[in-house]
Amino acid sequence: CILYCFLFLLVFGRAIHAIARISDEFWFDPVEKGLALRSVNSSRSAYACVFFSSMFFQHYCWTTVSQPRQKEKQLSLPCKLIIKSVLPVFRCVNVLERNVEKCSIYTNINDHHITFQLLCKHGIVKTYNLTFQECDPLQAVFAKHLCPNILKVHSRLLADIMIHFPTSQEEVTLSVTPMKVCFKSYTEEDTDFSKTMLTEIQLNPEEFDYFQVGVDSEATFCLKELRGLLAFSEATSVPVSIHFDRSGKPIAFSLEDMVLEASFILATLSEVEKERPSQQPPCFSQQHKSKAEAVASKKLEWCENAPNTESAKPASPLPKQEIKNIPRFPKQEMTSREGPPMAEDHAGLEGEATESRLSYFYKYCIFQFYSLFFGAVSCKENDAISHPFHSLATASDTEEDFGNMQSSPI
Amino acid sequence: MRFRAKIVDLACLNHFSRVTNTIAKLARTCTLRLTARKLYFILSDKVANGGVGMWCELCQGNFFDEFQMEGVAAEHNEIYLEIVPENLSRALKTAQSAKAVKIKLTNKHCPCLRVAVELPSLSSSSRIVTHDIPVGVIPRRLWNDFREPSVPDFDVSIYLPALKTMKSVVERMKNLSNSIVIEANLSGEMNLKIETDLVCVTTHFKDLGNPPWASEDGCQSSAQDRDLESMAEACIDIKKLQQLLAGQQVNPTKALCNIVSKRIVHFVLLHEDVSLQYFIPALA
Repeated sequence: CILYCFLFLLVFGRAIHAIARISDEFWFDPVEKGLALRSVNSSRSAYACVFFSSMFFQHYCWTTVSQPRQKEKQLSLPCKLIIKSVLPVFRCVNVLERNVEKCSIYTNINDHHITFQLLCKHGIVKTYNLTFQECDPLQAVFAKHLCPNILKVHSRLLADIMIHFPTSQEEVTLSVTPMKVCFKSYTEEDTDFSKTMLTEIQLNPEEFDYFQVGVDSEATFCLKELRGLLAFSEATSVPVSIHFDRSGKPIAFSLEDMVLEASFILATLSEVEKERPSQQPPCFSQQHKSKAEAVASKKLEWCENAPNTESAKPASPLPKQEIKNIPRFPKQEMTSREGPPMAEDHAGLEGEATESRLSYFYKYCIFQFYSLFFGAVSCKENDAISHPFHSLATASDTEEDFGNMQSSPI
Repeated sequence: MRFRAKIVDLACLNHFSRVTNTIAKLARTCTLRLTARKLYFILSDKVANGGVGMWCELCQGNFFDEFQMEGVAAEHNEIYLEIVPENLSRALKTAQSAKAVKIKLTNKHCPCLRVAVELPSLSSSSRIVTHDIPVGVIPRRLWNDFREPSVPDFDVSIYLPALKTMKSVVERMKNLSNSIVIEANLSGEMNLKIETDLVCVTTHFKDLGNPPWASEDGCQSSAQDRDLESMAEACIDIKKLQQLLAGQQVNPTKALCNIVSKRIVHFVLLHEDVSLQYFIPALA
């Protein structure tokens, strides 16, 4: 398919920079409605998705090329790009806006190239041809609307808060009660207090545009991964919504306006984690596979999905799915970590999300972690990530999507 | 041992912030000495510091609206703390628009200086940012290490050229050599020299003026009998000099240096309410 569009450079460039904080590669996923950029970090503890609707672009044209082997459903062109090759295109975004008159993006599916072309002042044209790997898109499943705690804040405020933490600060804890909100440096039992400077910022709930705290919680997340979003939100001037739950459940920072939506979903440390002093101090982006198996809490729900840019659909299967998946895995042999469990028909799973299931979820989260990896059903190339993917049932119930999963990519 | 202080005036806060920034550039760790009337940032000239010494003195009344302290004992009403000045300057950096800054000595998990910054906010109550800076309490038996250094018996004392000019000269020289020679005479002339295998570079300053020093016991100091043209020189680590110059954010009221030939260079930078002395030993 062919994607052809012009765009607001500053915002787009900042989006790329924000995603770059998460990982070295990202998915470039154009669909009929717009363009989605997605990224996941190597330990699967952070996920970013920025979706630009077709209205964001001055001109957006997306056409499919029909493939005989595929079903009738319209195809997308999901592909993976190395961030490092794209960043130079959008380096010095502030300067770019002044010098560049137009930026266009073309994709050519046949020779696996995406072309970024900047038409600059004085007749200068910069063309960047980047190769991509074809790869099915990945998407985190996160039921934002189910989060008991929702804060909405102007991007300026969030930046003003985070500026008090040193740039080297890895983890930050967001602690809320219905009466107050507090961001503080993360500490654990074996923190050496005599060597670490600790910072804490207390805020009045009145400072938030929207403040809802259903459950007292302390959510610890990786600040480094968030900083990209802060810069991006300042460029868009769109307020940032924070959806979260108890510790251990993911926290989502998202912004949304008429032409774009962005979500950064970060795993948080769970209480279980905190009680175990033998754990290494967590730094999410440095998680290795072996540590990942031991660390229970860095879990985000993933799914292989048809290109669907809204990561939080208010559809009831979602919450159940989070729980339903769990009982499945203990039934399998835990030893078979290498083999991907097949994606079962979602409709076949039974069970309600009861309290007992929830506690089951937490208790087994240690073993669950590895199983909750997302992945493409089949991936032609060897990805940077060493271990093979598991696939999970998707959020969608339709036959077509299910069929899409089973088929191999083009 | 108690310590509690508060700054409400923004100008005082900025001033104090600048002082901590300067100190942070000069020393990774240093000693903060608190007395009823003054604060001192001290670096004793141990070998571990490269023989560099620092003595920075502030009158607390010029900065703090409230200042209360109780030393270790009634007859030793002082507190000596080991501190990383970078932490303090970082805590104050984002307090530019603060309504008030309170500093308190606490001992929650370990002795800390708690800096609480009250910032204006959109809501009725302020935003409070708290920084807990870990400090080490220095016991009284070690206080002797931190006595005020005496002014050395110098050969030449001379006013420094404009610090900005001196800084840019030294920064460029730093790329070429690790050591720099400072020489000056009593005729107001100063040279900064570097010498490598490939190149020698000298920058000459003239008409700097020599500060008058009254000698304590009435008799002429050795400097008095000196030939006016004769240069006293010392070869020092260029990085130390560059750090000193880079840390100056405001032009001092008076800036001078005393050179003891081949031994040590003593820099004195005086502002209205802060004095900074910095000793750089000559390289062997």
